[in-house]
Amino acid sequence: MSSAIVTRSLTKQYGSLVALNAFDITVPQGSIFGLLGPNGAGKTTLIRILTTLMRQDSGEALVEGFDTRTKGREIRRLIGVVPQENSLDRYLTARENLELHARLHGMPAQRYRQRIDELLTLMGLAERQNDFPDTYSGGMLRRLVVARALLHEPKLLFLDEPTTGLDPQSRRAVWDYVRSVAGSMTIILTTHYLEEAEQLCDRIAIIDHGRLIALGSPQELKARLTGGAVYEIEFGRDGEQFATALRNLACIGTLQVEGRTVVVELERWECLSEVIAALNGAEVRRITLRDRTLEEIFISLTGEGLR
Amino acid sequence: MMTFQGTVAIWRRDMLVLRRSILPELVAVVAYPLTIYLAFGIGMKEYIGQVEGVPYSLFIAPGLITMTAVNAAFSESVWSLWFHRRVQFTIESYRVTPITASEIVIAKILSGFTHGLVKGLAVALVIFAITPFRFTPAHLLSYLVFLVPGSALFSCAGIICGTLMDKPETIGRVEAVFIMPLMFMSGLFFPLSSYPAAILPVIRLLPTTALFEGARLALVYGRFTAVYAALLYVTAAVLFTLAVGIFRRRMSE
Repeated sequence: MSSAIVTRSLTKQYGSLVALNAFDITVPQGSIFGLLGPNGAGKTTLIRILTTLMRQDSGEALVEGFDTRTKGREIRRLIGVVPQENSLDRYLTARENLELHARLHGMPAQRYRQRIDELLTLMGLAERQNDFPDTYSGGMLRRLVVARALLHEPKLLFLDEPTTGLDPQSRRAVWDYVRSVAGSMTIILTTHYLEEAEQLCDRIAIIDHGRLIALGSPQELKARLTGGAVYEIEFGRDGEQFATALRNLACIGTLQVEGRTVVVELERWECLSEVIAALNGAEVRRITLRDRTLEEIFISLTGEGLR
Repeated sequence: MMTFQGTVAIWRRDMLVLRRSILPELVAVVAYPLTIYLAFGIGMKEYIGQVEGVPYSLFIAPGLITMTAVNAAFSESVWSLWFHRRVQFTIESYRVTPITASEIVIAKILSGFTHGLVKGLAVALVIFAITPFRFTPAHLLSYLVFLVPGSALFSCAGIICGTLMDKPETIGRVEAVFIMPLMFMSGLFFPLSSYPAAILPVIRLLPTTALFEGARLALVYGRFTAVYAALLYVTAAVLFTLAVGIFRRRMSE
């Protein structure tokens, strides 16, 4: 599969602050690629370089084979951008906002009129197309920005925190749309919602201090951290009295007592039968496998401190 | 290669917005110079009488029209650019399309220039309607030779301020400390001969003097001052180059 994005030793500094530090990444065409990282990790700087809004200090960034330093116009023809801020023109109606964007892309009027009709219908905004953005809800604004980014049929879509501030229904609507276009274009998604990344992305890169610190599918990332399976065992009585028996087992990694529940990390899942044997006769109410979340991976890699 | 597709698209957007708000805007735009004209030109007529061989109300008319035009050009450029850059972030949405930074800034300069001409014309029509003064087409044409680069010059100055200044209060200070004093010092309400002889050569070097004095000489007396016109066009060209360069540089930061 060819690459939509390749960066090699990409570096950007703001004074003494290193925003990107010899950053290397390859994004396959047609994938949904998530960029995760705490505030100030370098995600926005990376997006701004890839969308030609900013120049790197050194290193190379190729978008669909075009160098961001010399082929900005060619790259901008191929990309659609949903920025963090809606950046809609409040003095133009929704339709006029889309028309302006189409003209900036040099689309012929006949083609863009039809495409705008399609997108407004798809996004559920056709009835409100002649209203000004100020009268829209947060979800409608976001859908309009997504429509604008898709108007010229980009090969690459950058979604910079596309669902921040949206209610669950609107968030689901954006997710559904992203899933529906997956495969037809490459999607680069930055988000603070780890659930969103887990739901949508084929591959995820975790960035911190301008460096790539982990890369893989959500499952691969989770497997990398867990090392073993984590089970929650709920007893009818206080868990502490059963914990002693479990602590003696060699295959128990960590053990934690939370009231009536004992959380054990097993070095391998086969160890579960030994645990059950050790609990022979105990009043066990429930045993559940606790799936490690992406959030745990994220926190373990980037730390818990506020940025 | 620059195609100007972005320039045309953004200018059309600005004109659509101007068309929508033209009536309420014109009321506000005409009110200020008209008040000054009524107060000074007509109210003080009996006290001031003639200045440089013409009634005072005629003496200040070209300056008030020019002031309205260049003020509108400056305001539109500076506030529009600041608003689109810092509040609405629309400049950023333009910059991820296949147009260049130069196309954006030229569109904004053109929009400021158009605002200036439209609003200057509106004030001119009102002043012509309430006064008995009439000008020959030749006078009007040579007046336009000054008004056009004047509006362009102030539009470029607005773009430079709107690009460099992030805080609205800074823009307000520039208007109060530089723009208005420069206009008033250029003989808007009084003849340049009022200046002490030692200062006069410096005043004559100001592009605003070239604009206001040149425009008055052209409209009232039909005298075309080539030196003033040249100074105005050269300054406008320099500011245009600076505005485009500064905007491009700021955008690449």
